[in-house]
Amino acid sequence: MTGPLLEVRGLTVALKGVGQPIVDDVGFALAPGETLCLVGESGCGKSLTSLALMGLLQSPPLKVIAGTARFAGEDLLAMDTARLREIRGGRMAMIFQEPMTSLNPGLRIGEQIAESVRRHKGVGQAEARARALEMLRRVRIPAPEKRLDEFPHQLSGGMRQRAMIAMALANDPELLIADEPTTALDVTIQAQILKLMKSLQQDTGAAMVLITHDLGVVAEMADKVAVMYGGRIVEAGTAEQLFTDPQHPYTIGLMSSMPSLGDRRARLVTVPGTVPPPGAMPPGCRFATRCPFATAACDAAPALRDLGAGHGVACHFAPLVAGDLPQLRSTGT
Amino acid sequence: MTAILSARDLRREFVTKRPLFGAPTVVRAVDGVSLDIAAGETFAIVGESGCGKSTLARLLLRLIDPTGGEVWYDGEDLAHLPADRMRALRRDLQFIFQDPFSSLNPQMSVGALIEEPMRAHGIGTPAERRARVADLLSRVGLRPEHADRYPHEFSGGQRQRIGIARALASGPKVLIGDEPVSALDVSIQAQVVNLLEDLKDEFGLTLVIIAHDLAVIRHMATRVAVMYLGEVVELAPAADLYAAPKHPYTETLLAAIPVAAWGARPARTLVEGDPPNPIAPPPGCRFHPRCPYATDICRTERPVLTDAGEGRSVACHRAAELSLAGLDGAEPGRSPAAAARFALYARAMAGDPDKTNDPETGQTQPRQTGD
Repeated sequence: MTGPLLEVRGLTVALKGVGQPIVDDVGFALAPGETLCLVGESGCGKSLTSLALMGLLQSPPLKVIAGTARFAGEDLLAMDTARLREIRGGRMAMIFQEPMTSLNPGLRIGEQIAESVRRHKGVGQAEARARALEMLRRVRIPAPEKRLDEFPHQLSGGMRQRAMIAMALANDPELLIADEPTTALDVTIQAQILKLMKSLQQDTGAAMVLITHDLGVVAEMADKVAVMYGGRIVEAGTAEQLFTDPQHPYTIGLMSSMPSLGDRRARLVTVPGTVPPPGAMPPGCRFATRCPFATAACDAAPALRDLGAGHGVACHFAPLVAGDLPQLRSTGT
Repeated sequence: MTAILSARDLRREFVTKRPLFGAPTVVRAVDGVSLDIAAGETFAIVGESGCGKSTLARLLLRLIDPTGGEVWYDGEDLAHLPADRMRALRRDLQFIFQDPFSSLNPQMSVGALIEEPMRAHGIGTPAERRARVADLLSRVGLRPEHADRYPHEFSGGQRQRIGIARALASGPKVLIGDEPVSALDVSIQAQVVNLLEDLKDEFGLTLVIIAHDLAVIRHMATRVAVMYLGEVVELAPAADLYAAPKHPYTETLLAAIPVAAWGARPARTLVEGDPPNPIAPPPGCRFHPRCPYATDICRTERPVLTDAGEGRSVACHRAAELSLAGLDGAEPGRSPAAAARFALYARAMAGDPDKTNDPETGQTQPRQTGD
């Protein structure tokens, strides 16, 4: 394996008027061809992380206040807008949950894809249009010649998602950032899109950052996983490590909350409470207010420690072993 | 089985386009559905966008009027009941909506929202109603003093709890939830799923759950009806349906689920493309153009929902000869390390009753004891 294609270090995003950073010291590395899933619930900072990488944070009120993101040698976070525009949609492409956020409703599908190809590859009209057709074919849109001249509203949700993927991949990006790409889709359409993304990735060797809240999608797609909570990565490792040896209480709670498809277990074991609002996170471990293992030690922020083989966990008590655990705070107070 | 709510050949058409000349375009959103919901069970209706499941839910409570057919509750046909009698029966039949953000009037206090159904049905004195509001709030995991606040002050999960308290206020016998947990994050979803199951036991409710999340359905439901293009194509006890589906569409749905476990079978796409346009459903079996098992008869003759024994029914010409794959063994057991850790977490949660019983309250100091 060569060096990482993307290496994010210490990414920190502040929201104006909020005392605590809402993305705090996030870091990960991604090799060509790899898929990293950023997992977490609403407000955990997973989407803000991806927007920061693409230079799409709404500023103000949001601002990157620290960190680097080296993409093929260049720091995305230090880049000027012109250079960023060259890279976005070219070597780095995006897929969103709602295709209409990236498709222009007033432009025919073919024109949109061709425009992006012309811009980044500097080819002529005819060649760009041919490329657009080829891409629609590759994402398996039926009757692609006809679709080329249709407007986004004439396509079904699944077809629009395919069209967006076609546009994102038209310039052979090395890095694909996909934010909840299948969340709005029905389960059979989701399976088709995931399969498509996987096979296109195999063909092109692109690396992918996939943002999702769905652990099923993670199991299906991820090589590596980073679980986020309250703006921080609380656990990171390979998909196998996360599923077979989950260590952070939040990861365990999240997995426990998911109903099983097999025989019905009794009650679901939940994560109690809700995520505190931005700026009202506890001062140490941000999960402490909801953690059944929390003690006074959790008033100090735990670092993401490597438990071996690259499995990082930000919990004072990791590895969690029965008998080793401190007395629970609720019985202590 | 004692049916508490029954549909007989229930139909609903929507006119989508009414041109100046020529015939209007009609969608048959629900097209001849018959089913019996047993008292005390959790009955689930599943299917993908546009299959008619939400329309069916609304027809069952007559939130919309059917085009044809009957809905029987307690010896009365809801579909043909005069408005005043229907209004009285609503005390027994309540609805929970998907979106906790748009289903609560933002200008009413939480107390007034929960009290409203009681006022509408002339239940209790003002003092009794206030006491019941306080009681309902604590039953759904909120606090009595929340009665004076307004919906915007609450998170999504809390708002769904308010919606549930409101639905319970009139003392219903049947509660129908249209995607009641799908707008919520996983951890909050689990809290609300547990809450619904507790309340069902506590109040002796019959639950009807409409959902697209097949894992939530597997967890909650006693029996499941699978819908495709306005029809019920399979109906069976949940465990049987998931282990060994009898309709090819059910098999397709189950195969497409991504399983959240390491070493699970990969999701499969048994069909490609989108469901056909419901305005012009295909002749014969509506699933035949996408069905990998379709034969000649499927293209011409429409199969009806037929008894398949063991409390199951299926609408497929080939049901008896097909052997379809379910989710048996699709989800591998947890690794020993993971199993130990899940047990540890569950024990810690059980030993921390403060947090299990009082979720979502006091956002920054959730652990005030004696609250």
